[in-house]
Amino acid sequence: MKNQFLAAASLLVCCLAQADGYVVDKVYHPNVLPDEQRLEWRFMSRQNDDRNVLAQRIGYGHSLSEYVTMEAYIVGERDRDDNFGLQAYELESRWMLTDQGKYWADWGLVFELEKQHKQDAWEATSGLVMEKEFGRNSLTMNWFLVYEWGKALHNEFETEFRMQYRFRWKPQVQPSIELFVGEDFVGLGPALMGVQRFDGQRQLKWELGFISEVSGVVKDHTLRFVLEYEF
Amino acid sequence: MTKGRLTLGLLLLFGLPCQAEIDEFELVLKEHLFYPARLEVPAGRKVKLVIHNQDDTPEEFDSFDLNREKVIFPNRKATVYIGPLKPGVYDFFGEFNPNTARGQVVAVRQEGGNAD
Repeated sequence: MKNQFLAAASLLVCCLAQADGYVVDKVYHPNVLPDEQRLEWRFMSRQNDDRNVLAQRIGYGHSLSEYVTMEAYIVGERDRDDNFGLQAYELESRWMLTDQGKYWADWGLVFELEKQHKQDAWEATSGLVMEKEFGRNSLTMNWFLVYEWGKALHNEFETEFRMQYRFRWKPQVQPSIELFVGEDFVGLGPALMGVQRFDGQRQLKWELGFISEVSGVVKDHTLRFVLEYEF
Repeated sequence: MTKGRLTLGLLLLFGLPCQAEIDEFELVLKEHLFYPARLEVPAGRKVKLVIHNQDDTPEEFDSFDLNREKVIFPNRKATVYIGPLKPGVYDFFGEFNPNTARGQVVAVRQEGGNAD
Protein backbone atom coordinates (compact mmCIF):
# COMPACT_ATOMS: atom_id res chain seq x y z
CA MET A 1 0.00 0.00 0.00
CA LYS A 2 2.80 2.39 0.95
CA ASN A 3 4.63 1.67 -2.28
CA GLN A 4 1.48 2.31 -4.29
CA PHE A 5 1.01 5.61 -2.52
CA LEU A 6 4.62 6.68 -3.02
CA ALA A 7 4.45 5.79 -6.70
CA ALA A 8 1.23 7.74 -7.14
CA ALA A 9 2.47 10.73 -5.17
CA SER A 10 5.73 10.83 -7.13
CA LEU A 11 3.85 10.78 -10.40
CA LEU A 12 1.59 13.59 -9.36
CA VAL A 13 4.30 15.78 -7.86
CA CYS A 14 6.34 15.34 -11.01
CA CYS A 15 3.61 16.88 -13.15
CA LEU A 16 5.29 20.02 -14.39
CA ALA A 17 3.94 23.12 -12.66
CA GLN A 18 4.21 26.47 -14.38
CA ALA A 19 2.92 29.83 -13.18
CA ASP A 20 4.39 33.30 -13.13
CA GLY A 21 2.12 34.88 -10.51
CA TYR A 22 2.48 34.63 -6.76
CA VAL A 23 2.57 30.92 -6.21
CA VAL A 24 2.72 31.02 -2.41
CA ASP A 25 -0.83 31.13 -1.09
CA LYS A 26 -3.24 29.11 0.96
CA VAL A 27 -3.21 25.32 0.65
CA TYR A 28 -6.83 24.30 0.21
CA HIS A 29 -8.48 21.44 2.07
CA PRO A 30 -11.34 19.47 0.52
CA ASN A 31 -13.91 19.56 3.32
CA VAL A 32 -16.98 21.78 3.37
CA LEU A 33 -19.49 22.20 6.20
CA PRO A 34 -23.10 23.30 5.61
CA ASP A 35 -24.63 26.43 7.13
CA GLU A 36 -21.25 28.00 7.68
CA GLN A 37 -20.19 31.59 7.11
CA ARG A 38 -16.65 32.88 7.28
CA LEU A 39 -14.63 36.05 7.23
CA GLU A 40 -11.08 35.68 6.00
CA TRP A 41 -8.00 37.85 5.97
CA ARG A 42 -4.93 36.75 4.04
CA PHE A 43 -1.60 38.53 4.25
CA MET A 44 1.40 37.85 2.03
CA SER A 45 4.75 39.63 2.08
CA ARG A 46 7.29 38.57 -0.53
CA GLN A 47 10.84 39.86 -0.30
CA ASN A 48 13.40 39.43 -3.06
CA ASP A 49 16.54 41.30 -4.09
CA ASP A 50 14.58 43.99 -5.92
CA ARG A 51 11.59 44.81 -3.78
CA ASN A 52 8.97 43.81 -1.30
CA VAL A 53 5.53 42.81 -2.50
CA LEU A 54 2.73 43.15 -0.01
CA ALA A 55 -0.67 41.67 -0.78
CA GLN A 56 -3.71 41.32 1.40
CA ARG A 57 -7.15 39.96 0.73
CA ILE A 58 -10.34 40.10 2.69
CA GLY A 59 -13.12 37.65 1.96
CA TYR A 60 -16.58 36.61 2.99
CA GLY A 61 -17.80 33.07 2.41
CA HIS A 62 -21.02 31.15 2.82
CA SER A 63 -21.81 27.47 2.37
CA LEU A 64 -24.43 26.96 -0.30
CA SER A 65 -25.06 23.31 0.55
CA GLU A 66 -23.53 20.35 2.34
CA TYR A 67 -20.91 20.10 -0.41
CA VAL A 68 -20.45 23.56 -1.95
CA THR A 69 -19.21 26.83 -0.54
CA MET A 70 -18.75 30.23 -2.19
CA GLU A 71 -16.45 33.06 -1.18
CA ALA A 72 -15.91 36.60 -2.49
CA TYR A 73 -12.66 38.54 -1.98
CA ILE A 74 -11.27 41.96 -2.52
CA VAL A 75 -7.52 42.02 -3.03
CA GLY A 76 -5.22 44.86 -2.08
CA GLU A 77 -1.59 45.15 -3.14
CA ARG A 78 1.31 47.57 -2.74
CA ASP A 79 2.50 48.90 -6.09
CA ARG A 80 5.97 49.89 -7.24
CA ASP A 81 5.43 53.41 -5.88
CA ASP A 82 4.77 51.98 -2.42
CA ASN A 83 1.10 52.86 -2.55
CA PHE A 84 -1.24 50.25 -1.18
CA GLY A 85 -4.56 50.05 -3.01
CA LEU A 86 -7.31 47.93 -4.46
CA GLN A 87 -5.88 45.47 -6.93
CA ALA A 88 -8.48 42.84 -7.81
CA TYR A 89 -11.78 41.14 -7.05
CA GLU A 90 -12.24 37.41 -6.82
CA LEU A 91 -14.99 34.83 -6.59
CA GLU A 92 -14.11 31.38 -5.32
CA SER A 93 -16.08 28.18 -5.00
CA ARG A 94 -15.00 24.97 -3.28
CA TRP A 95 -16.69 21.63 -3.88
CA MET A 96 -16.37 18.64 -1.59
CA LEU A 97 -16.43 15.58 -3.85
CA THR A 98 -16.16 12.78 -1.30
CA ASP A 99 -17.24 12.32 2.30
CA GLN A 100 -14.38 12.70 4.73
CA GLY A 101 -12.69 9.35 5.34
CA LYS A 102 -14.91 7.33 3.02
CA TYR A 103 -12.28 6.58 0.41
CA TRP A 104 -8.54 6.14 0.36
CA ALA A 105 -8.24 9.93 0.23
CA ASP A 106 -10.60 12.91 0.38
CA TRP A 107 -11.14 14.90 -2.82
CA GLY A 108 -12.44 18.34 -3.69
CA LEU A 109 -12.44 21.01 -6.39
CA VAL A 110 -11.68 24.72 -6.33
CA PHE A 111 -12.81 27.26 -8.94
CA GLU A 112 -11.71 30.90 -8.91
CA LEU A 113 -12.46 33.88 -11.12
CA GLU A 114 -10.39 37.02 -10.59
CA LYS A 115 -10.52 40.42 -12.31
CA GLN A 116 -7.89 43.11 -11.91
CA HIS A 117 -9.25 46.46 -10.76
CA LYS A 118 -9.68 48.97 -13.64
CA GLN A 119 -7.91 46.65 -16.07
CA ASP A 120 -9.06 44.19 -18.67
CA ALA A 121 -7.18 41.35 -17.03
CA TRP A 122 -8.92 38.16 -15.96
CA GLU A 123 -7.83 34.92 -14.41
CA ALA A 124 -9.84 31.69 -14.17
CA THR A 125 -8.51 28.85 -12.05
CA SER A 126 -9.60 25.24 -11.69
CA GLY A 127 -8.05 23.16 -8.98
CA LEU A 128 -8.08 19.60 -7.75
CA VAL A 129 -7.66 19.14 -4.00
CA MET A 130 -6.66 15.94 -2.23
CA GLU A 131 -6.11 15.12 1.44
CA LYS A 132 -4.82 11.84 2.84
CA GLU A 133 -4.61 10.98 6.54
CA PHE A 134 -1.82 8.99 8.11
CA GLY A 135 -2.82 8.68 11.75
CA ARG A 136 -2.25 12.16 13.20
CA ASN A 137 -0.62 13.39 9.99
CA SER A 138 -2.34 14.81 6.93
CA LEU A 139 -0.95 15.22 3.43
CA THR A 140 -2.79 17.82 1.36
CA MET A 141 -2.08 18.48 -2.31
CA ASN A 142 -3.53 21.08 -4.70
CA TRP A 143 -3.13 21.09 -8.49
CA PHE A 144 -4.23 24.22 -10.33
CA LEU A 145 -4.78 25.02 -13.98
CA VAL A 146 -4.90 28.80 -14.51
CA TYR A 147 -5.99 30.65 -17.63
CA GLU A 148 -5.23 34.38 -17.94
CA TRP A 149 -6.75 36.61 -20.56
CA GLY A 150 -7.59 40.22 -21.37
CA LYS A 151 -6.13 43.25 -23.12
CA ALA A 152 -3.78 44.01 -20.25
CA LEU A 153 -1.91 40.71 -20.39
CA HIS A 154 -0.93 37.82 -22.62
CA ASN A 155 -3.46 35.05 -22.89
CA GLU A 156 -1.88 31.95 -21.44
CA PHE A 157 -2.35 28.78 -19.44
CA GLU A 158 -0.35 28.16 -16.28
CA THR A 159 -0.16 25.37 -13.75
CA GLU A 160 0.61 25.41 -10.04
CA PHE A 161 1.16 22.81 -7.37
CA ARG A 162 0.87 23.21 -3.60
CA MET A 163 1.53 20.61 -0.92
CA GLN A 164 1.28 20.60 2.85
CA TYR A 165 2.35 17.83 5.22
CA ARG A 166 0.79 18.56 8.61
CA PHE A 167 1.10 17.00 12.05
CA ARG A 168 -2.15 17.44 14.00
CA TRP A 169 -0.46 17.86 17.38
CA LYS A 170 -3.03 20.01 19.16
CA PRO A 171 -6.00 21.94 17.76
CA GLN A 172 -4.17 25.23 18.34
CA VAL A 173 -0.75 24.05 17.15
CA GLN A 174 -0.41 22.00 13.98
CA PRO A 175 3.07 22.33 12.43
CA SER A 176 3.57 21.56 8.78
CA ILE A 177 5.95 21.69 5.85
CA GLU A 178 4.69 23.39 2.71
CA LEU A 179 5.86 23.14 -0.89
CA PHE A 180 4.83 25.49 -3.71
CA VAL A 181 5.76 24.93 -7.35
CA GLY A 182 5.13 27.30 -10.26
CA GLU A 183 6.99 28.64 -13.28
CA ASP A 184 10.58 29.37 -12.26
CA PHE A 185 9.61 28.94 -8.64
CA VAL A 186 10.00 26.15 -6.13
CA GLY A 187 9.31 27.28 -2.57
CA LEU A 188 9.62 25.25 0.58
CA GLY A 189 9.27 26.14 4.23
CA PRO A 190 7.73 25.57 7.63
CA ALA A 191 4.22 26.60 8.55
CA LEU A 192 1.94 26.48 11.52
CA MET A 193 -1.82 26.31 11.62
CA GLY A 194 -4.33 26.11 14.43
CA VAL A 195 -7.93 26.47 15.44
CA GLN A 196 -9.60 27.85 18.55
CA ARG A 197 -13.22 26.83 19.05
CA PHE A 198 -15.83 28.98 20.72
CA ASP A 199 -19.52 28.39 21.36
CA GLY A 200 -21.58 26.79 18.63
CA GLN A 201 -20.11 26.81 15.15
CA ARG A 202 -17.84 29.76 15.91
CA GLN A 203 -14.14 29.15 15.55
CA LEU A 204 -10.99 31.07 14.70
CA LYS A 205 -8.43 29.47 12.40
CA TRP A 206 -4.96 30.75 11.64
CA GLU A 207 -2.07 29.82 9.38
CA LEU A 208 1.46 31.19 9.36
CA GLY A 209 4.14 30.12 6.92
CA PHE A 210 7.60 31.21 5.84
CA ILE A 211 8.46 29.95 2.38
CA SER A 212 11.87 30.29 0.75
CA GLU A 213 12.57 29.89 -2.93
CA VAL A 214 14.93 26.97 -3.32
CA SER A 215 15.47 26.57 -7.06
CA GLY A 216 17.50 29.73 -7.71
CA VAL A 217 20.37 31.66 -6.21
CA VAL A 218 18.53 34.92 -5.63
CA LYS A 219 16.84 35.90 -2.40
CA ASP A 220 13.10 35.22 -2.47
CA HIS A 221 11.21 34.73 0.80
CA THR A 222 7.49 34.88 1.43
CA LEU A 223 5.73 35.29 4.75
CA ARG A 224 2.10 34.27 4.55
CA PHE A 225 -0.57 34.59 7.18
CA VAL A 226 -4.27 33.67 7.19
CA LEU A 227 -6.87 34.49 9.81
CA GLU A 228 -10.31 32.96 9.34
CA TYR A 229 -13.34 33.40 11.55
CA GLU A 230 -16.11 30.85 11.00
CA PHE A 231 -19.57 31.31 12.37
CA MET B 1 3.10 14.49 -21.77
CA THR B 2 2.11 16.48 -18.70
CA LYS B 3 -1.57 15.68 -19.21
CA GLY B 4 -0.70 12.01 -19.65
CA ARG B 5 1.21 11.89 -16.39
CA LEU B 6 -1.56 13.72 -14.56
CA THR B 7 -4.20 11.33 -15.89
CA LEU B 8 -2.08 8.31 -15.03
CA GLY B 9 -1.50 9.63 -11.52
CA LEU B 10 -5.19 10.29 -10.92
CA LEU B 11 -6.18 6.89 -12.25
CA LEU B 12 -3.65 5.26 -9.98
CA LEU B 13 -4.89 7.20 -6.94
CA PHE B 14 -8.59 6.67 -7.61
CA GLY B 15 -7.99 3.09 -8.55
CA LEU B 16 -6.26 2.13 -5.35
CA PRO B 17 -8.19 -0.47 -3.38
CA CYS B 18 -10.16 1.64 -0.96
CA GLN B 19 -13.11 -0.20 0.42
CA ALA B 20 -13.53 -3.70 1.65
CA GLU B 21 -16.51 -4.43 3.89
CA ILE B 22 -16.95 -1.67 6.44
CA ASP B 23 -18.38 -2.40 9.89
CA GLU B 24 -21.26 -0.13 10.78
CA PHE B 25 -21.97 1.30 14.23
CA GLU B 26 -24.86 3.46 15.36
CA LEU B 27 -24.88 6.50 17.61
CA VAL B 28 -28.04 8.22 18.73
CA LEU B 29 -28.22 11.86 19.75
CA LYS B 30 -31.17 12.54 22.00
CA GLU B 31 -31.74 15.54 24.25
CA HIS B 32 -28.19 16.61 23.41
CA LEU B 33 -26.64 13.39 24.70
CA PHE B 34 -24.87 10.71 22.68
CA TYR B 35 -25.95 7.06 23.16
CA PRO B 36 -23.81 5.13 23.74
CA ALA B 37 -21.40 7.66 25.16
CA ARG B 38 -18.59 5.12 24.87
CA LEU B 39 -18.52 3.21 21.62
CA GLU B 40 -16.11 0.32 21.03
CA VAL B 41 -14.88 -0.21 17.49
CA PRO B 42 -12.23 -2.55 16.10
CA ALA B 43 -8.75 -1.04 15.84
CA GLY B 44 -6.94 -1.20 12.52
CA ARG B 45 -10.10 -1.10 10.41
CA LYS B 46 -12.15 1.60 8.81
CA VAL B 47 -15.61 1.82 10.37
CA LYS B 48 -18.80 3.66 9.55
CA LEU B 49 -20.64 5.61 12.25
CA VAL B 50 -24.28 6.29 11.51
CA ILE B 51 -25.40 9.10 13.81
CA HIS B 52 -29.12 9.61 14.25
CA ASN B 53 -30.02 13.07 15.52
CA GLN B 54 -33.38 12.64 17.25
CA ASP B 55 -33.41 16.24 18.50
CA ASP B 56 -35.24 19.10 16.84
CA THR B 57 -32.06 21.14 16.52
CA PRO B 58 -28.97 20.56 14.39
CA GLU B 59 -25.76 19.28 15.89
CA GLU B 60 -22.19 19.12 14.64
CA PHE B 61 -20.23 15.97 15.39
CA ASP B 62 -16.72 17.19 16.08
CA SER B 63 -13.54 15.36 16.99
CA PHE B 64 -9.98 16.61 16.72
CA ASP B 65 -8.76 13.14 17.73
CA LEU B 66 -10.64 11.53 14.86
CA ASN B 67 -10.14 14.52 12.53
CA ARG B 68 -13.83 14.67 11.70
CA GLU B 69 -16.51 17.38 11.54
CA LYS B 70 -20.03 16.61 10.33
CA VAL B 71 -23.28 18.52 10.65
CA ILE B 72 -26.29 16.35 11.52
CA PHE B 73 -29.60 17.99 10.69
CA PRO B 74 -32.59 17.64 13.06
CA ASN B 75 -34.30 14.24 12.92
CA ARG B 76 -31.89 13.06 10.27
CA LYS B 77 -29.05 10.56 10.04
CA ALA B 78 -25.48 11.36 9.01
CA THR B 79 -22.59 9.05 8.24
CA VAL B 80 -19.06 9.56 9.49
CA TYR B 81 -16.23 7.30 8.31
CA ILE B 82 -13.37 6.87 10.76
CA GLY B 83 -10.15 4.92 11.01
CA PRO B 84 -8.25 2.74 10.65
CA LEU B 85 -7.49 3.67 14.26
CA LYS B 86 -4.69 2.61 16.54
CA PRO B 87 -5.92 1.08 19.81
CA GLY B 88 -6.89 3.91 22.13
CA VAL B 89 -9.54 6.38 23.21
CA TYR B 90 -10.75 9.13 20.88
CA ASP B 91 -12.95 11.94 22.22
CA PHE B 92 -15.80 13.50 20.29
CA PHE B 93 -18.43 16.11 21.11
CA GLY B 94 -21.37 18.02 19.72
CA GLU B 95 -20.19 21.48 18.80
CA PHE B 96 -23.56 23.12 19.54
CA ASN B 97 -23.91 21.47 22.96
CA PRO B 98 -20.36 20.73 24.04
CA ASN B 99 -21.18 20.46 27.75
CA THR B 100 -23.65 17.60 27.38
CA ALA B 101 -23.11 16.01 23.97
CA ARG B 102 -19.82 14.26 24.62
CA GLY B 103 -18.55 10.77 23.95
CA GLN B 104 -15.62 8.52 23.21
CA VAL B 105 -14.74 6.06 20.51
CA VAL B 106 -12.63 3.26 21.94
CA ALA B 107 -10.58 1.41 19.34
CA VAL B 108 -9.99 -2.13 20.60
CA ARG B 109 -7.42 -4.52 19.25
CA GLN B 110 -9.14 -7.56 17.76
CA GLU B 111 -8.04 -11.13 18.45
CA GLY B 112 -5.79 -12.07 15.53
CA GLY B 113 -6.23 -8.60 14.06
CA ASN B 114 -3.44 -6.53 12.60
CA ALA B 115 -3.94 -3.26 14.46
CA ASP B 116 -0.61 -1.62 15.13
